[in-house]
Formats: sequence, structure tokens, C-alpha cells
Amino acid sequence: MSGTVIFFLVLYYVVVLGIGYWAMRRGAGEDLEGYLLGGRQVGPITTALTMQSTAMSGYMFLGAGGLGFAQGYWALWYAAGDIGGGLLNLSVIGRRMRKLSQMMGALTAIEYLEKRYPSPAIRLVAGSLTIFLLGFYVLAQLIAGGKGMALVTGISYPLALAIAVGIILIYTFMGGYLAVAYTDFFQSLVMLVGVMWIVIAALSELGGFTAANVAIGELDPTLLSVWGRGLGFEGQWGVVAGALLIFSVGYMGWPHVVTRHMAMSSPATARRAGFWATIWSLFFVPAPYLVGIFAILILPGLDDPEMAIFQVAEQLLPAAVTGLVMAAIMAAIMSTADSLLLQTGSIASRDIYERFINPRASERQMVMVSRGLVLAVALVGYAIALVEPPTVFSIVIFATSVLGSAFLPAYVCAVWWKKANTPGALASMIIGASVAFIWQYAGLVETTQMHPMLTGVVSSTITMIVVSLATQKISPVPPHVLDAMNVSAEVGPIPARYLDATEFGLANEAAAIANGLEEGGHNG
Amino acid sequence: MFGLPLATTLLVFGFPLFWVLYLIGFLYVSRGWDQDSAKEDDGS
Repeated sequence: MSGTVIFFLVLYYVVVLGIGYWAMRRGAGEDLEGYLLGGRQVGPITTALTMQSTAMSGYMFLGAGGLGFAQGYWALWYAAGDIGGGLLNLSVIGRRMRKLSQMMGALTAIEYLEKRYPSPAIRLVAGSLTIFLLGFYVLAQLIAGGKGMALVTGISYPLALAIAVGIILIYTFMGGYLAVAYTDFFQSLVMLVGVMWIVIAALSELGGFTAANVAIGELDPTLLSVWGRGLGFEGQWGVVAGALLIFSVGYMGWPHVVTRHMAMSSPATARRAGFWATIWSLFFVPAPYLVGIFAILILPGLDDPEMAIFQVAEQLLPAAVTGLVMAAIMAAIMSTADSLLLQTGSIASRDIYERFINPRASERQMVMVSRGLVLAVALVGYAIALVEPPTVFSIVIFATSVLGSAFLPAYVCAVWWKKANTPGALASMIIGASVAFIWQYAGLVETTQMHPMLTGVVSSTITMIVVSLATQKISPVPPHVLDAMNVSAEVGPIPARYLDATEFGLANEAAAIANGLEEGGHNG
Repeated sequence: MFGLPLATTLLVFGFPLFWVLYLIGFLYVSRGWDQDSAKEDDGS
């Protein structure tokens, strides 16, 4: 590895750690809301860029490039939905979720679900499911970090993986949402500059966009089609619909992404954040897929398609720029990994440990639980990534399909459908997650030609509607929740009666107890 | 166009255009949202 590359990487780490330290100091000494949501004071540009950089993980530099290399322009179906994912999320649930979460006093995306659908079962199921799936998602980031570092530095994969895990852990332990949000802001800019640089270098190597496409067409015209190499996906609209949905509407079901709504400085922030998210995505999202497609010409003998972007960068760019691109790739990985680990730790400490195991837990104990789980997830991830690393693409598609299928109806209906009740939400989460999981692992994608995201989200949506309607009499939505929903729908300041969330919490406890007694009465 | 079949050209350029139009529509529909940022304790 050249000294220039080392210089750029070290410079990048120093800047990121410096920003993280500054943000941590700024948020230090505040309450739990300050630690978990940055005191709900994050502005539109930071909201947009932390949301986008969290959603765009190491997948974009490994999975997306690999898919473009393997399937040609078919890969752009994923980008087509992804470009609007942040905008859709902010425009559909952003403003209402920000308002409702503050009125309810919810500090995590899982606690928010329990307060909207009052039942401890909601928190237990949603919390456990999220920890499991985010753990998988973290695994993909570790593999991406280890593979990239090994290729660029030339050190062995196990050592590269250990360094990647170590850096991500130190960085995450700095802690706090504000540190994550501000470092994400910086990293999203590094990602954008890095990927645009590779696109420009690839286009200039190939003589422009049209010349590159003509050359690919001469090699294999099916790579230019919307149906993949050898027209392998021809007529498979179920797979295409899933590819479009997974990174567009799917984002609305990802707890680590919707938390960004709760941290906005005001409900109206969603409007300007939607603008910035779209501008950033228009430039960033298609780029890794296109570089993967161009790599068909630049690297005809490539063994591992997921290495396409790394190798194009190494082949075409001078050492200084390769250092910047490597920093961009690590930025994509780290900006997602820190958010995933912070969410996993927060959910483990607040939604599981404090809620179900030790309600009188001190802040110190909660931090210990959070860090212990983060360490455990990282070590288990390290072991799996070392022994038998699956492809980054397959893990990300699995984790995001199941997350989106499980939680999409619960988060959307939480603000838009007043009949969405606790049994409906619980059944929707369980059925959505199960269908997406089974579809992926029973090989039903090939036999039915349907994407797991499509079948999962359709199942969870139908379940939410049917079960909620069927159980309206035995489990109506409590009046205080309906009132809060009405207020969140209206445009205007939050009424004074909701500025202290204690009353809402007490009403919720009472509703959960009454519901439990009633269910006990029915069962008895 | 650009050496691509028509369907692929629509995929590459049509979807981004769709999202830009969606953004314009969203900014128009949400133009009154700033009222949400009014001082919260003014409401009752």
C-alpha cells in the first residue's frame, strides 16, 4: 500500500473521530433524549444526509457494483426505487412520526411502536426481531470492511477484518446520536465525491457513456436490456417489483432509519430534508451500479464481482484518489455500522433490559448493557465473517427484506390509519417477517419468480388490515392514542397538554392493563 | 439513446425524472408545514 493511500485513510479517520468527539462533547451531560435522539435538534441537511448514508451501506460499494457487473442494466431496477427512498420516507411518515413520537415521549423506534400499539408484546417481538436482523446487517458491513481493506492494503483478510471491526467498535463506543448524525453528514459527502470520481474515471477510460454502452452491447447485448444477463429475468415482474420496493417503500420499515424522523429539530424539517435527500440520491445512488456495469469492460477477468468497484478504483485512479475512494467506501460501511450498532445497543438496553428485566436500571447499567451487546454482536459477526463469509449482497437483501416486510405496515399505519390496533400490528410483524424469511430460505424466489420483499410486504399489509378490522371490538385503539394521531395529522404547534409526555405514558399503562384484564376475562 | 434500448433508457432516466416530479409535488403540498415550527407552547 502506498504512503499516499495510508495518508488519506489516516486523515479520514482523524477527521471522523474529531467530528465524533466534538459532537459527543456537545451532547455530553444531557439526558437520555440527548444521547438517543440528539435532543431532537437535528436540522434538515444533517437529517437528510444521516438518513441516506445510514441507508446506503457497504452494500452500495460491494453488492451494487457486483450486481451491475453480473447482470448489466437489470441492476438499475434497485437504483430506480432507491433514488426516491429517502424522499418517500420523509414525505409519508416524517412529519407525523416526529410529532407523534414527541407527544408520546418515545425515545427509540421500538418504544414508539409500543406507545402507539399499547402492549408489552409489541415491544418484545419488535425489539427481539430488530436486534436479530440488525445483527445480520452489521455482519455485512464487517465483511465489506474486511474485504475492502484486504484488497487495498494487501494484508490478509483475517487481519483486515480485525482492523475493520476494531475501528468500527471504537467509533461506535464514542456513542450518542449527535456524534453519529454529524459524522454521517461528513461521510455522506466523502461517499459522494469518492463514487463520482470513479464514475468520471471509468467514463473517460471508456470514451464516454454512449461508447461504453456500445462496447457492452457488442460483448453481450442482453447486458443492456432490463432483464439481465441472458435475459434471465425476462417477464419476472414479481422480482422486478420487489427490487423496486425494497429500497423505496422498504425504508419506512427500517427502525434504524425511521429513528431519524424522531430526532428532527421540528416536524417541518421533513420538507427541506426531503429536498436534500433527493438531490444527494440522484447523484449517488445510480453511480455504484454503473461502475459495476462499466467494470465488465475494464476488468473482463474479474473473479469476485463484489470487488468490481475496488478494482476499478485501483486500476484507474492515482494513489491519492484511491485513498479518497477507500475512505469513501469505509465511510459507507462505518456510517451504516455505527447507526446499526447504536440502535442495537439502544434497543437491547432500553426496550429489552430496562423494560422487561430491570425496570430500575441506572443509566450506567443501561450503557453497560448497550456496550456489552454491541461487543457481542461485533465478535459473533467477526467469527462468522472469518469462517464462512456469505456475499454482502445476499445478507443485505435478506435483512432489509425481512425488516421492511415486518415493520412497514406498523410504521405507516401508526400515523395514517386510526383502526390499526395492537393485534393487527403484532400479527403483521410476525407474518411479514416469517413470509419474507421463508420465501428467501425455502428457495421460493426461483420457483414463484416473486421477490421476498414483495410477498413479505403484501402479507404483512393484508394481515394488518384483516386482523385490525376483525379485532376492533375486543381491542379498540385507545382514545388518547386517537387524539394524539389527530393532533399529529394537523399542521400547527403541539398543544400544551402534550408537551409533558407523562400523562400519555400513564394513559398508555392504563390502556395496556385494561386490555390485559379484558383479554384475561375473555380467555377465562 | 446513449447506445441503450428504449426500455433501458426509460429505466435509467425515467425513474429519476419521476422522483424529481414527486419532489416538486411534495414541496408544493407541504408548503404550509412551517406552521408546525411555531412556538409549541403557543398552542393549547
